[in-house]
Amino acid sequence: MTPRVFQRNRRWDRLARWLISVGGVGVIGCVAVMLLLIVWMALPLFGKPHATEVVPAFTAPAGTPILAVGLDDNAEVGFTLGGDGFFQFLELRTGAVTARVPASPRAGKPGVKLTGVSAGRHLEYALAWDDGSWSLVRIAFRSSFETGRRQILHQVEILAEMPAAVTMPAGGAGQMRAGEKGGAVLVWLDPSGATFQVRRSVVKTDLLGNEETAMATYEIPVPAGSVTAFTVDLAGSTLYAGTADARLLRWNLGDDRAELLEQVRAFEDGRRITALGLVFGDVSLAVGDDRGGVSTWMPVALYGEGSSRRMELIHTLAAHASPVVEFPFVQSGKQLLSRSAAGLVRLDHMTSERKLLTLQGSQSLDAINISNRGDHLLALDRNGLLHLWDLDAPHAEISWKVLFGKVWYENYDRPALVWQSSAANDDAEPKFSFVPLIFGSLKATFYALFFAVPLALMGAIYTSQFTTPEVRGVVKPAVEIMAAVPSVVIGFLAALWLAPRVETAITGVFLFALILPVAFLLTLALWMAIRNTRLAKRVGRGFEFLPLIPVLILAGAAALALGPAVEKLLFAGDFKLWLFHTAGLRYDQRNSLIIAFALGFAVVPVIFTMAEDALSNVPNNLKAASLALGASRWQTVWRVILPSASPGVFAAVIIGFGRAVGETMIVLMATGNTPILDASPFNGMRTLSANIAVEIPEAPAGGTLFRLLFLSAVLLFLLTSVLNTAAELIRHRLRKKYGQF
Amino acid sequence: MKPSTNIKSPGFWRLGEPFVWLTGAAMALVLILAGGMLVVVAGNGLGVFWPARLEQFEMKDKTVLLGAVTQRSAVRNGVAHSRLQVKVGNRDLSGADFRWIDADAVARTSAPPDALLVERREFGDFHGFLVRSATAGGVDGLRADWLRVRAEFAGVAELGKAVSKINDRMEGIRRDLLRLRYRNAPESGSAIRGCLARQAELKVEFDRLVAGQTRSLEGLRRHTATFRDAAGREKEIPLTDIVRFCQPNILGVGGKAGWYLEKVWELFFAEPREANTEGGLFPAIMGTVMMVFLMSLFSFPLGVVTAVYLREYARDGWLVRVVRIAVNNLAGIPSIVYGIFGLGFFIYGVGSGLDRLFFPERLPTPTFGTGGILWASLTLALLTVPVVIVATEEALGAIPAGVRHASLALGATKLQTLLRVLLPMASPGIMTGFILAMARAAGEVAPLMITGVVKLAPAMPLDGNFPFFHVDRKFMHLGFHIYDIGFQSPNVEAAKPMVYVTTLLLLFIVLLMSSSAILLRNRMKKRYTLGSF
Repeated sequence: MTPRVFQRNRRWDRLARWLISVGGVGVIGCVAVMLLLIVWMALPLFGKPHATEVVPAFTAPAGTPILAVGLDDNAEVGFTLGGDGFFQFLELRTGAVTARVPASPRAGKPGVKLTGVSAGRHLEYALAWDDGSWSLVRIAFRSSFETGRRQILHQVEILAEMPAAVTMPAGGAGQMRAGEKGGAVLVWLDPSGATFQVRRSVVKTDLLGNEETAMATYEIPVPAGSVTAFTVDLAGSTLYAGTADARLLRWNLGDDRAELLEQVRAFEDGRRITALGLVFGDVSLAVGDDRGGVSTWMPVALYGEGSSRRMELIHTLAAHASPVVEFPFVQSGKQLLSRSAAGLVRLDHMTSERKLLTLQGSQSLDAINISNRGDHLLALDRNGLLHLWDLDAPHAEISWKVLFGKVWYENYDRPALVWQSSAANDDAEPKFSFVPLIFGSLKATFYALFFAVPLALMGAIYTSQFTTPEVRGVVKPAVEIMAAVPSVVIGFLAALWLAPRVETAITGVFLFALILPVAFLLTLALWMAIRNTRLAKRVGRGFEFLPLIPVLILAGAAALALGPAVEKLLFAGDFKLWLFHTAGLRYDQRNSLIIAFALGFAVVPVIFTMAEDALSNVPNNLKAASLALGASRWQTVWRVILPSASPGVFAAVIIGFGRAVGETMIVLMATGNTPILDASPFNGMRTLSANIAVEIPEAPAGGTLFRLLFLSAVLLFLLTSVLNTAAELIRHRLRKKYGQF
Repeated sequence: MKPSTNIKSPGFWRLGEPFVWLTGAAMALVLILAGGMLVVVAGNGLGVFWPARLEQFEMKDKTVLLGAVTQRSAVRNGVAHSRLQVKVGNRDLSGADFRWIDADAVARTSAPPDALLVERREFGDFHGFLVRSATAGGVDGLRADWLRVRAEFAGVAELGKAVSKINDRMEGIRRDLLRLRYRNAPESGSAIRGCLARQAELKVEFDRLVAGQTRSLEGLRRHTATFRDAAGREKEIPLTDIVRFCQPNILGVGGKAGWYLEKVWELFFAEPREANTEGGLFPAIMGTVMMVFLMSLFSFPLGVVTAVYLREYARDGWLVRVVRIAVNNLAGIPSIVYGIFGLGFFIYGVGSGLDRLFFPERLPTPTFGTGGILWASLTLALLTVPVVIVATEEALGAIPAGVRHASLALGATKLQTLLRVLLPMASPGIMTGFILAMARAAGEVAPLMITGVVKLAPAMPLDGNFPFFHVDRKFMHLGFHIYDIGFQSPNVEAAKPMVYVTTLLLLFIVLLMSSSAILLRNRMKKRYTLGSF
């Protein structure tokens, strides 16, 4: 061979060494990339919200004092409402005024002015005219492509008019809500704060289709104290009021009279309530006080179903430095916008109690409006400058407390740990507690290991120590093949074959647990009687399992056959009914017993194989020495082999634990997937892994649920990775100890 | 010896023999469980295609049912109470395929010899009797008619293939147009005009073919036969709707076996029907095979290289320990985590990137930025790498050191030793790893569910159109098929036979692969332990 060939060979050799090393170490890369990616996907959940001013603050349209501002969904067009009753629409990117539209036909008339404006629903305003009449108007935006380019068109819609009434002098504060078919309700607080006036117009259609408007007016006296803040829910049916002595009152607004539902003392430390507002969904009431405190309250039935509801303090949010002035309406999730007397605006999330953003202008902010989706905010400061912020507060509903702690959700009577990722309506509070899922994972794992560990370990001991090499040569591959059974097959059989059968024969299953030891002891006794006969000697040592197979099968058959009789005798013929009446437990068809069996079936071969390896890797001379000293075969196993192999056996159990925690298809198919916190063996659970499989197809990419599922994948990854690393380290020590690979 | 001394023998209990028996019982139970599962799957799966006897139940309330008994239950609420589940078929007439009847309520049971079992393309099976067909001569006449119609129907199906071919070409032109317009090619330019012209041409051809197809189908559907169910209601069934039929009560064993084999053939080579609950598994089998094949391309090289590194190149140290820990982690991470990784990394990361780079004109319709066979295979490749590593390492470790020394002493480089001596010697072990990895991949479902498996794929990943292997397509999979029809099917009871058959098939494939792998491995172990150097 020429030196050229040698050189070439050496070059190839070096290249191969390099490539193989890179490939080998690449496995670390794979694991690292996996972990990093799923962490990366989950990380934005804990990102800091931030707000940026889209354009430098610009001067609001001149003219009369501005009472309200607003903007469209894309933050392209905004408007101001002046004291003269005109809306001025402007392009927010340039500040140019594009249109001036009267809020009502009344607005154009000389001398007519607005005395007050109160905001209701998004872009809905109750206007108080100086002649004592009220209008409810809404600004509607829509996109148009008629000119080839997108244009935002605006329209002022008058929802309801309330003519001036003698009993209701101009001035004072009022709130107006639209009812059905142009009807409306107006709640007006007397300047003294001692009485409310309510006017309700109801539009009725008679049989001929004629519409008739009926007007009802009534007065609500405030029982004690003077009202300093009040609000009406969007349906116009409930009135909330807060008083100077920190009392909260709640009325039901009827057609011609109001019913006081309750009054509670909210604070005992002398605070005044200065602002009230309803969180979107009209369940939670936001309460602001003169010390800047912000809290939410809701009526709960403290003493269970049916008991009367009482306002309770649910969430306390971070406090302002100055008194809270208003809670503008927010339509996105359970966010809460509050404005303080100092002109600071804060965005919080009610459920997670997170303080998201604090905004301030060059001067105190007077009028603010947040866009429909909650991503833009338009504010007017006292210098007459308009500020437009781009708000970025994604995943505001997530905090560590929400994920792992008890949270008092709306319409719940006490704080709870709930996973409920989607709801029928927009204003529902998402409930993202990992606790029921983790509990479900652990419950499934616990029941499965309870079944699998004794079975697999004892089986492994027998296979490695007591039986003959020939039997071992059959059993071990058989168990390894059992490990290859796809989990979808196990899950399907468990859910559709086993579960209905166990349901009808549940008593037989329990009976089996009783009959089995009896049958076992009987077999032992029989064996003792015949063990010195020739037949028994032929069965010999190492084949004890052979007579046991028919015994086990017969015991099972006997249990199933006797089951109905026992059920009739003990449980009046229906175990499930008995269980419900006696223990109050419900029996689900897909329950933890099924999971114990199915998941156990999947885990047994894993534990069995590894434990068997660990046991048979104990050097033979230890065993020989023990037997030579006169120990029996059981004593040898119990005192010598098991202690030597215990780390390996332990590692096997750990690996089995990891496999059970992460198993997906079996639990997905055989548990019923209800995220409940209940350790009863007769109902199911939802595990972290099955939850990912159930929810990911419905989770929009990049959304909160999507990222939460990645977070739960991180949890699973870390859990199994810790377990597997521990098991590998233990086995490494064992390998070193016995000098085998 | 007298038995009494045996019982009093102090040894048995003190020496711990009962515990030995206890462990023996555990092993026996494990074996029973494994065997029991096989028995359940085989027992439920093997008999599905065997045409069951159609029994006529004349009930005490004067109603008559014709069906095959599928289940018997002896006990209900602890009371002995015999009930039968009967597959009555005729979903279009009675609304439900299955009926539970009380054994007490049956007045008379018989097995009418002329009862017909008709498998239809729609509404499941029909159980009943022939009233008349176009050709006289009873069932034989019907068969002659039906065979003639079926032959013509096959011709129409050929027409259908031509239609779908034209459809594919039109889709290609649509994509070309999209690309041209995305690149701002002039609307009046030759490229776009050419495309439009071809599109118009194809459209004409397409319409002509479809019209012809519809016409012939309408003509064929005019051939019908009239049947009557057990209750006497008549039903006219177009012959094109009949897949096959027989008279199970007078069919001999040979005929039944023929029916069985025909159904098995259909299972392997036909498309699914009736929301996957009838027909064949061909797309699912193909999907599984394609996916496993594609996975092997990625998984095997990485696994072998890592094992070679660990066994032959790396020096013992912390790095090797970290690699081993990584391998163990890879083996222990739950499969669903692989799935969600595949979704985040391959689909939303790599796939969306590819779309933006190469297929911007099709956006927002994703090409690679959605689940597909490529991403599913890559995800499963990661999942199966540890299996290959462990097996390869074991195989390399079983080669005596003397072999390496001999090769090196003869002047071979390390690479030459590896390629010419070690890998060939270890090849049975490596093959074991490959087979085990393939078995694992064939049975895994959870990660596939979120990386590209669908219940019904419109087109297969492999077809006659360029580039033949479409790695971006979604696919069907046997394991997912089980989950889907067993748990998401509207008519679970009717779907059950199909689920059992699919389960049997999947289990058979997986167990065949893994048992051959394990046998191979055990044989190889013996080879080296006996012939030690």
